[in-house]
Amino acid sequence: MKRKVKAACVVALSAVLALGACSSGSETATEPATEEEQTQSTEPADPYGSYAEPMTISIGMQVDPTDKDLPAGDTPLDNQYTRQIEEALNIKVEHAFTASAANMRQKISLAIASNDLPDAMVVNAVELRQMVAAGQLADLTQVYERYASPEIKDIIEKTDGAALKSVTFDGKMYAIPGVQADADGIHIMWIRQDWLDKLGLEPPKSMEELATVARAFVEQDPDGNGSADTIGISGPQSGDGKMYANFLESKNNLYGFDAIFSAYGAFPGYWLDDGSGKPVYGSTLPETKEALSGLRDLYAQGLIDPEMAVREASDEPIINGKSGIFFAPWWMGYGPLTNAVKNDPEANWQAYALPLDAGGDFRPHAATPSTEFVVVRKDYANPEVPMKMLNNLFKNEMENTFDPSKGGPGFYPLRVVFAPSDEIEFTNKAIKEVLAGTKTKEDYVNDRPYKLLPSDLENITKIKQEPYDDWNIGTWTPDADWGAWTRAYSIMVGGNPIVDTEMERINSLIYEQTPLMESRWVNLKKMEDEMFLKIVMGVAPVDSFDQFVEDWKRQGGEQITNEVAEAIQQ
Amino acid sequence: MRIKSFDKHYYLMLLPGYLWLIVFSIVPMFGIAIAFQYFNPGKGIFHSEWAGLEHFRYMFVLKDTREVFFNTLIIAVLKIIAHLVVPLVFALMLNELRKLVVKRWIQTIVYLPHFLSWVILGGIILDLFSYNGPVNQLGALFGFKPTLFFAQAELFPWLVVGSDVWKEFGFNTIIYLAALTGINPALYEAAGMDGAGRWKSLWHITLPGIRTTAVLLAVLSLGNVLNAGFDQIFNLYNPLVYSTGDIIDTWVYRTGLLNLQYELATAVGLLKSVIGFILISVSYFLAYRLINYRIF
Amino acid sequence: MIRDRTWSSRLTDIAILVVLIGITLTCILPIWYTLALSLSSNSAAAAGQVWLWPVGFNVNAYTQILKDTQFFGSFWISIQRVALGAALNFVVVLLMAYPLSRTSRQFKARGVLMWILIFCMLFNGGLIPLYLTVKGLGMLNSIWALVLVGGAQTLVFNVILTVNFFRNLPKELDEAALVDGAGPWYSLFRIYLPLAVPVLATITLFSIVYHWNEFLYGLIFMTREQYYPLQTYIQQLVVSVDPATMSEDQYRRLSELSNRTLDAAKIFIAMLPIMVVYPFLQRYFIHGITLGSVKE
Repeated sequence: MKRKVKAACVVALSAVLALGACSSGSETATEPATEEEQTQSTEPADPYGSYAEPMTISIGMQVDPTDKDLPAGDTPLDNQYTRQIEEALNIKVEHAFTASAANMRQKISLAIASNDLPDAMVVNAVELRQMVAAGQLADLTQVYERYASPEIKDIIEKTDGAALKSVTFDGKMYAIPGVQADADGIHIMWIRQDWLDKLGLEPPKSMEELATVARAFVEQDPDGNGSADTIGISGPQSGDGKMYANFLESKNNLYGFDAIFSAYGAFPGYWLDDGSGKPVYGSTLPETKEALSGLRDLYAQGLIDPEMAVREASDEPIINGKSGIFFAPWWMGYGPLTNAVKNDPEANWQAYALPLDAGGDFRPHAATPSTEFVVVRKDYANPEVPMKMLNNLFKNEMENTFDPSKGGPGFYPLRVVFAPSDEIEFTNKAIKEVLAGTKTKEDYVNDRPYKLLPSDLENITKIKQEPYDDWNIGTWTPDADWGAWTRAYSIMVGGNPIVDTEMERINSLIYEQTPLMESRWVNLKKMEDEMFLKIVMGVAPVDSFDQFVEDWKRQGGEQITNEVAEAIQQ
Repeated sequence: MRIKSFDKHYYLMLLPGYLWLIVFSIVPMFGIAIAFQYFNPGKGIFHSEWAGLEHFRYMFVLKDTREVFFNTLIIAVLKIIAHLVVPLVFALMLNELRKLVVKRWIQTIVYLPHFLSWVILGGIILDLFSYNGPVNQLGALFGFKPTLFFAQAELFPWLVVGSDVWKEFGFNTIIYLAALTGINPALYEAAGMDGAGRWKSLWHITLPGIRTTAVLLAVLSLGNVLNAGFDQIFNLYNPLVYSTGDIIDTWVYRTGLLNLQYELATAVGLLKSVIGFILISVSYFLAYRLINYRIF
Repeated sequence: MIRDRTWSSRLTDIAILVVLIGITLTCILPIWYTLALSLSSNSAAAAGQVWLWPVGFNVNAYTQILKDTQFFGSFWISIQRVALGAALNFVVVLLMAYPLSRTSRQFKARGVLMWILIFCMLFNGGLIPLYLTVKGLGMLNSIWALVLVGGAQTLVFNVILTVNFFRNLPKELDEAALVDGAGPWYSLFRIYLPLAVPVLATITLFSIVYHWNEFLYGLIFMTREQYYPLQTYIQQLVVSVDPATMSEDQYRRLSELSNRTLDAAKIFIAMLPIMVVYPFLQRYFIHGITLGSVKE
């Protein structure tokens, strides 16, 4: 009998050894096909060329299980996008794993940690660095040189090197960076214009006026239902809601207080120049303390959502017409506003580059262009396959091949956004020109990287009625085409403040982690987030900020600051 | 009496169970090595460099780990005490009930929360305690200002303990009720004849009658001193209450899987296991010494 | 029990009854509230107007779920998982508990084998090696990953419970069996099994509840949503997402889905099977727990 037990142990042990073998990456790769044999060549290849032999690529992909956009019979693996890829490039896509947005980070961590990687996937900056350090990624320098389409190269290179810098380690390129419009990093004030009008108020220009307006929104029953159930200013939601964007996640912070911080001249979460060329962390500066104290006053007076940071979904009161002000980027038509307007067609959400700082300026912080990266597993035989898929995506978006009503662009495998830095501003101006009759659609045919411009110009008159210089909700006819309205309302109402306002944009000195941050940053950031929330919500005294600064420096902040100084020297 | 030829049958019976444990519990323990390595996922556990005790040293200087050990201890100990006392009181009250039908119904209903998952109860509880949820509405009737219960760090451990007691007290009465039925009714009759009232009987007959059970439960729960309840806290907490509500298990999960600090997470998890093992051993010997009871 | 029925004693009885019923109500109200929420209109639910009665009564949420194939797919996976998990648990625990309930004199290795179990219960290598093991066995996306990994973690506890139950059975059983010349298999299946119904019902219930409620392994071992068990599916409805990492179209879709009544309806349906099952097993689990965990 003992022998049997021993035999069982042997079985189990051999399973372990087999695991060891797997985890050292011995997966057999598919043979390189035809023309791709001379991988050392630097000659440009055809970015759109099809493979003679069918290629397969297995990817990790974000799929929302409750998404019902796909037509009957289509699946995330078999839809207009995957069929087009197979037809045009002879590439067959497979799923190594899928996960909802909420679980995606965890799935990717698991894949990295267990070295059980798909051939390619889309990761964030922290994951990218981790994978580079673990030696898990293919060098894409040649692939990018030879295969990237001219339009994509153009977009990536027009970011003043920022996009390339974010994926280059020791001179090698380990990922293809997505590029998003600059406007995504500018956080503006969205406000219920109809409430302002009803109460006879003006959009608040200063922090004092903001408090006055918010108080009126809370106390004067702007929704006229007779009960005091309205919120002045929405706040971040629980879970991953943030009070401000930071240098690692520098854009698309919804329901934070970014514009309020910058009105105090504070840029928490950003690495700034202290005036003498040395880096300093914005969260440790006195301006931040002042801003926190200001927010604390607002919260104590009930002008900020009392449920901030605990609410599951901050968009709920906005959709339900219970909130009057929130801070977010330009694209809120894609955000809560579509539902808000569906609920209440009179909900007149307008956007302003406000409040202003003491000098009367709007000085927002600006974002890095790249936050999503396409990476390829080291031993994957055809590392250019993902690049070709991206080329193909961009080409077809320019040519408008896909029909979003048959499944949104999120279903395109390995999709990352390639948008010219000024896409929103450019489109905003173009629409105004066409509406004013000073230019026509045909004048823009050569602006190919602005891939949605033709349809934007086509659709605008369906949903926007005269007068063309008034953007209040009453002048729109969203029922004619909700999809087009969502985009146009975002670009016009959300884009106007960005186009019309002279602003000095504050950049972070770096947008990536330094080596020491890998082990220390999570804990430092946790300390910061907790302390600041406590100060704002009145749980800790304002002066505990000074203790935080000391703790922060002692627990690695000082060393990290030195690393940042070195990083910007290079 | 020992019959030698039986041994092989015993082993045969044990084979499936131990095979199961070997594959899914013992084999994966090779991951403990990560705590002593500079773990490089690209190289895997078998080829990463050794770090000695460095992660343990870092663990002890980190404010976080002290905090989570402290939180775990507080929450777990409060839970242990409450789980001993509340079901006892409830069982005693139930024992006073003379209508058996009512008693049966009450028992059935109070067992219910035990069987529901924290995924589900967490959702419901957060909803009940939300800013304009029923609890705050009820409070408003009595003139209380609405509070964000689950945003307050000083309240959070109490809410966790309270909701856990609420979930488990009914189920935990089972053992006490059994002990109560084990008391000889003749004792009560005799006491009644001596003119002892309800309270006197409780004090002199009921409580001594279940003393052994209570001591045993207390000793057994020693093994749980570092188990504050992952499922519950994972489904209830938020960053605002990390300072008092983050426990070892949730911290290890976040640090290891979401923040990619595998080594540190494994080290902390290992420390927890070691302490847990020691505590169980202690309670094993305590139970044997104190009340001559073998836990297993 | 004879007690004097004085006026004050009756008052105490009534007071106790009122308190007991009050406490019992708190165990039902949250579930009732969820039901009321699921039957209310979306806007009333979002505005927090629902309390104990549906506001704007409708069954839209339920008709919507009827059309949700993913929900029913997950529901079916959970049913399968529970059936397989409970059956396997039953067989393996029964086989293990018998030899381990022998005295050290009857079965020498018992002590060591028992401590190995305790070791397995307390130590683990973390999620990553577990994932590698499951993957090495080719069980990713297989229901067996859920059944076997979860089962291994609850196995030890169930074995200990059953072992204690067996050890509390009268010693004469063994002696009688020996006199009859019965071997281990005979005495396990013919003598112990019929007597062990309560404890086996108990561990089966525990296993059902565990497999029905567990959500984390679904998240780890299933690479696609269509393989998620029900609790995992529900868990991802409740988790909030970081907008900074989301694209605009994903965000739009998510906001359209924030739907409290629908979530409430799903939660309610997920609770139903357990609520239906446990009262029928009540008689058994009371007995099983009592004898399995504490001997008087």
